[in-house]
Amino acid sequence: MRLPLLLSAGVLLVALLPCPPCRALLSREPIPGARQAPQHPQPLDFFQLPQQPQQPQQPQARPVLLRMGEEYFLRLGNLNKSPAAPLLPASSPVAGGSGSRLSPDEAAANFFRALLQQLPLPRRPLDSPASPAERRAENALGSRQEIPERERRSEEPPISLDLTFHLLREVLEMARAEQLAQQAHSNRKLMEIIGK
Amino acid sequence: MSPSFKLQYHFVLIFLMALRGENRYLELREATDHDPFLLFGANLKRELAGEPLYRRALRCLDMLSLPGQFTFTADRPQLHCAAFLIAEPEEFITIHYDLVSIDCQGGDFLKVFDGWILKGEKFPSSQDHPLPTTERYIDFCDSGLSRRSIRSSQNVAMIFFRVHEPGNGFTFSIRTDPNLFPCNAISQTPSGRFTLVVPHLRQNCSFSIIYPVVIKISDLTLGHLHGLQFKNPSAGCGGIGDFVELLGGPGLDPSKMMPLADLCYSFHGPAQMKIGCDNTVVRMVSSGKHINRVTFEYRQLEPYELENPSGNSIQEICLSSL
Repeated sequence: MRLPLLLSAGVLLVALLPCPPCRALLSREPIPGARQAPQHPQPLDFFQLPQQPQQPQQPQARPVLLRMGEEYFLRLGNLNKSPAAPLLPASSPVAGGSGSRLSPDEAAANFFRALLQQLPLPRRPLDSPASPAERRAENALGSRQEIPERERRSEEPPISLDLTFHLLREVLEMARAEQLAQQAHSNRKLMEIIGK
Repeated sequence: MSPSFKLQYHFVLIFLMALRGENRYLELREATDHDPFLLFGANLKRELAGEPLYRRALRCLDMLSLPGQFTFTADRPQLHCAAFLIAEPEEFITIHYDLVSIDCQGGDFLKVFDGWILKGEKFPSSQDHPLPTTERYIDFCDSGLSRRSIRSSQNVAMIFFRVHEPGNGFTFSIRTDPNLFPCNAISQTPSGRFTLVVPHLRQNCSFSIIYPVVIKISDLTLGHLHGLQFKNPSAGCGGIGDFVELLGGPGLDPSKMMPLADLCYSFHGPAQMKIGCDNTVVRMVSSGKHINRVTFEYRQLEPYELENPSGNSIQEICLSSL
């Protein structure tokens, strides 16, 4: 008799105990082939995230001029957008036109800073109109000016990259150096195997 | 059936089922044991197989010239990114998406362009490429994984991408395949040697060198081989018939470059020309009636050669771009 009574009491206790707030697990794994489902299942969370705090040590880098294909119009860089440059860690000062020999990543970052300094970067008016869909999304989510402006993908014409031949050759030579280094590495491995 | 017989019968059935599963396990083990490379470690096996997969992170602006697996992960919103892909002139490039995690609805995109496009100028030009410009862009957000593997039409390709959310990104693998008759190509190096062959195909083929070079054409065959050389010009070099033209200019698109020389006759023997332009193109126009071939060597012009033009050099057109 007592046993069922104890059991019932235990069940009631478990049911009435406060539990920690339940949170959905955010999955960042893609769903292959499922274009209907968004790749990232929590776009709402992203919009609600506060703007990443600006790191005062990093200077405001200028965006890359992105030029549209010849059949379409010119689209200029937007200062509100993040630059494309993979900058060095915040502790490294911005240096333009560095000619010293650095690691491949640093050399690539320095090369890209040289690119930014060489390109003309006309300003885009800050009051340039955003697409109506973007405005509705921003208003609905209560975002402020900190949220980066997003173009509608469906309205985006083909793109090209504005790069001088000089910089293109620099990147090409870096790629060639990487290729030769990898070939040397493979040759060394092969010689080690043969020597065993 | 007596209960004891039933029990034995069931026991025998259960035993047989278990043994069947065990047998399969043993078969698999035997197959494994017969692997002659089993004694070697996985790394060594891979090394003996020839090619360990090269892997590294992809930068927002990058150039890839070797096969491997490349991963881009946004550490912050990256809105203007592109990767140039280049292989040997006699190779195709195949891009295979291994993993894609981008928010297409949120403005991310991932596009492969069949060729290179720079400042709005395309290589190969619209005239020389089999596909219209719009079809040369393959948008992952449109096609999804239905076009998981994309092969270029020549030795160059580009990937444009935009990723807003940190942590998102993608991984792709690059593989090269042989191209027996390369038609359009960009040279990886400022010096080299190449033979452009167009066998009975009605197409225009360009070989681009993005350096100021001195180019030496050692052999030009316009017409049939095996002794039936056509001595007369190929129905004129005014754009009709088969011919080879040298182009120079400051851009990437051969159709927007200045024609510097037209070669209408077959010849054997070096013909040299210095072209001080940012981009030099050897372009062969073929009607499809003949087998055409041109062999040439090229080397980069030295700075003193650019400053002091000597005979048979064309630099005035491109001086302003240097």
